[in-house]
Amino acid sequence: MINASKEKKNKIIDNIFKFFFLAMAILSSSFIVILVLFIFMKGISPFLPGYEFGQVDIISFLFGTTYRQDQGIYGVGFIVINTIISAFASLLLSFPISVLCALFIVKIAPKKIGEIMKSVVELLASVPSIVYGVFASGVIVIFVKWLASIFGVTTAGGSSLLAVIILLAIMIFPTITSMSITAIQAVDKDLEHASLALGATKTQTNFKVVLTSAKSGIFAGAILGIGRAFGEATAVSMVAGNKLFGPTFDLFDITRTLTSTMLAGLKETSGLDYDIRFSVGIVLLFVIFFSNWLLNLLKDRIGKNS
Amino acid sequence: MSRQVKDNILNGITYLCAFLGVLFLGSILVYVLTNGLKLINWDLIKNDYWSQNYLVAVTDNEPKEFTCDSCNGYFSTKWGVSFTDEVTSHKENVITIEYIAPGSPFENLTSLTAGDMYGTTIPVDEGYMIEKLDYIDSQGNAAIGGKILKQDAKALQESLDDASEITSIYIQSPGEGIRGSLIATLYLILISLVISLPIGIASAIYLNEYADKSKMNRLIRQGIETLTGVPSIVYGLMGVSVLFPVTTVFGATGTSILLGGLTMAIILLPTIIRSVEEALIVVPQSLRDASLSLGATKSQTIFKVVLPCCMNGILTGVLLSIGRVIGESAALIYTMGTFISDNPVVNGPATSLSLMIWSFMSAEQPNFELACAISIIILAVVLVLNIIVKIVGKKLSKNFV
Amino acid sequence: MDTCFDVKNLNLYYGEKQALKNINIDLYKNKVTAFIGPSGCGKSTFLRCLNRMNDLIENCRIEGTILKDGVNIYEPKTDVVELRTKVGMVFQKPNPFPMSIYENIVYGPKCHGLKNKAELNQIVEKSLKQAALWDEVHDRLHESALGLSGGQQQRLCIARAIAMQPEVILMDEPTSALDPIATSKIEELIESLKKDYTIIIVTHSMQQASRVSDYTAFFLLGDMVEYDTTSIIFQNPKDKRTEDYITGRFG
Repeated sequence: MINASKEKKNKIIDNIFKFFFLAMAILSSSFIVILVLFIFMKGISPFLPGYEFGQVDIISFLFGTTYRQDQGIYGVGFIVINTIISAFASLLLSFPISVLCALFIVKIAPKKIGEIMKSVVELLASVPSIVYGVFASGVIVIFVKWLASIFGVTTAGGSSLLAVIILLAIMIFPTITSMSITAIQAVDKDLEHASLALGATKTQTNFKVVLTSAKSGIFAGAILGIGRAFGEATAVSMVAGNKLFGPTFDLFDITRTLTSTMLAGLKETSGLDYDIRFSVGIVLLFVIFFSNWLLNLLKDRIGKNS
Repeated sequence: MSRQVKDNILNGITYLCAFLGVLFLGSILVYVLTNGLKLINWDLIKNDYWSQNYLVAVTDNEPKEFTCDSCNGYFSTKWGVSFTDEVTSHKENVITIEYIAPGSPFENLTSLTAGDMYGTTIPVDEGYMIEKLDYIDSQGNAAIGGKILKQDAKALQESLDDASEITSIYIQSPGEGIRGSLIATLYLILISLVISLPIGIASAIYLNEYADKSKMNRLIRQGIETLTGVPSIVYGLMGVSVLFPVTTVFGATGTSILLGGLTMAIILLPTIIRSVEEALIVVPQSLRDASLSLGATKSQTIFKVVLPCCMNGILTGVLLSIGRVIGESAALIYTMGTFISDNPVVNGPATSLSLMIWSFMSAEQPNFELACAISIIILAVVLVLNIIVKIVGKKLSKNFV
Repeated sequence: MDTCFDVKNLNLYYGEKQALKNINIDLYKNKVTAFIGPSGCGKSTFLRCLNRMNDLIENCRIEGTILKDGVNIYEPKTDVVELRTKVGMVFQKPNPFPMSIYENIVYGPKCHGLKNKAELNQIVEKSLKQAALWDEVHDRLHESALGLSGGQQQRLCIARAIAMQPEVILMDEPTSALDPIATSKIEELIESLKKDYTIIIVTHSMQQASRVSDYTAFFLLGDMVEYDTTSIIFQNPKDKRTEDYITGRFG
């Protein structure tokens, strides 16, 4: 029944597939290298001597406080600060709400309500950012305008740093919540029982034991959340207002983030104005990389304490 | 006692936080539904985005007697056509055709525009807007009517009933439809999946079935996982710098659906690899052993036993990917452009549904109603996909228990 | 008597840990040989050496030789796939593929390029008959194999192995997941398969070993302590440790 030539063919096919699978895996993972390489090459070119559209000074690019495409002034220093402010402020706003919502879902809510809340969080997570953008420019800006009028401040139609912060806080809420849910579910039941056996109430146990035991996972959620806040582009662009200079510290003033800069007035597909977006992309990657590195360092220290 | 009060306050705060979550979702839904729902109808899906203007003449230039029982608007008994007043999502007052009676001269309109179009039949249908009407009135004088004279539907109907002959009509086709973007979105989904699925499945197979714990394999895995953390706008930059040359082979000269699809394929890779791997892990080792012990080769085992067992995982990957493609905007702004095309071709620029929203929301006059209507469609698709993923996921965990 | 496997100085390591220590054994053709011993003694590991299923385990290192028909199966040029077609295997838990009964049986032959429909039908009927399953399933060959009872599934797995017409069938505790009635059916089946195949069975149950096997090998902590005809092992063991195990002092 077994045919020798057939066997040989099978073996060759087997080897071909093995190499095919390996090749595909290598291809998949090489995209990140290609991505970084090409964006670097293109993003660095405006700073090199002999750049065809006129060399840009890298120092004034990195530390500049004005970004005017129309005048050919490109300084992203203030934009970096704006981006960091809006991302961390949104984390500050969203983090407690998300963690407590997760605690509610896992430990406090009746089972049925917990299930429903979980679906709510999942749905929020799957809302595309363009829809958040529409919502922000239709609802959040009006809320901000109303808030500003209470303080007697006028805004640019509601587009402002505050609108960006609120928008990002809502957008990273599901990310942090679902990571926190996983972390809280993973807390050892014995620890809880030990706390309850010492006479702590259920609530005390939840806040003192459960949350502290889950803090490493919760923190991982925060890191993921701020990553999303840094990288969010379309929705933010719709309410940022794209200020030309900065940095912006006033909540009701318009602002400009790295991503909104990359999208603003995108028309040509060549020239300095186009190439400089790659440079801004590199800066964005660096900001994300460093904040991740910093937060991970912090996470390890928090993890060690317990 | 004070301990109990404290507990209640803390619990109350968590209730409040959960309520905020519901509030976020609720207000998004309420906002898009109240603003967009009235635009959701068949015309939205069927129509082009850009409305076309036509100057037309009637071929059968003879008033007759017509009747209409079900017309709510103003019906011209002589010419057999009914008009209504409407407001576009741009807040513009227009007069639209509500009904054309069978045999009416309006059934057969030909173009008066000089050039290739001259004399061809223009298929005018309900929903077309009358801009201007040139006619000869009952006294034999030339007269004009229509929106251009700030007439409403009633006035236009009266003018028309007074006409003994129609000289010309300036007519506008209804725009603000999403047909082109819908087709472009389907192309986009198709292209990105056709490229991403084989690469993703093969990579997942390698990682789960072949890879040992060597340094190289750890590096491969690390590389794929890092892709997840890259913001999608950066993928857009990658698309134009790395993948654009690939698309020129297929005749693309700038941004194109193809370029968007290739870029999306890379964005989707981590999602597909993860879903397939999760399914591969669940396939019991004993099935692989059984197949190998029968003298099947490793690749035969994978294709005949392992992969059929993880069809659910592949399906989950596909569904999640479709959701991702429909929702993606930032990466596509760079790769597909922002020009809304009514007749999209694969190697030319077009907008997906999300991109379409971006395109007219970043224009001078943002059209909130249309944006909300498209958002409703996107959200409905995403919701359905999520539900299917959940059902499939439940089946997956049942399979091998 | 013809030997089927000639094992010489076999050592097996999982990383640093030695799981089999210097095994020397001749396994005879067309006999049923049982491996017994307490859990973790290496009997299943040894069984998996015979068709090189241990290759699938990371960090597993093997020294020594296993001769089959005078050729060392651990030589680099050995074709593992071909070896496994000659040495079939039945596993502890019934593991039918999630396909129809028919598809399960023809899986092996199809993998080796057999396409002739009539021939495949013949193989299915013959294998199922040999596995004493034909009468129970012949009217639902195209239904899912997962619908069969545990005992039927295990006999299907045996039929699936038989379909390849192997020389040897390795059975790794084939009845440990089955009820007594299904177990006795499998044991009858082993008895009837003996004339065509060499059967090597790992079992937890000493009664089973004494009922079905001609030869028995006793393993303890990676050593093969004693190997002889079943009647000698059970009635007159030479080693004290074997006697202690047989009489139930430990295990």
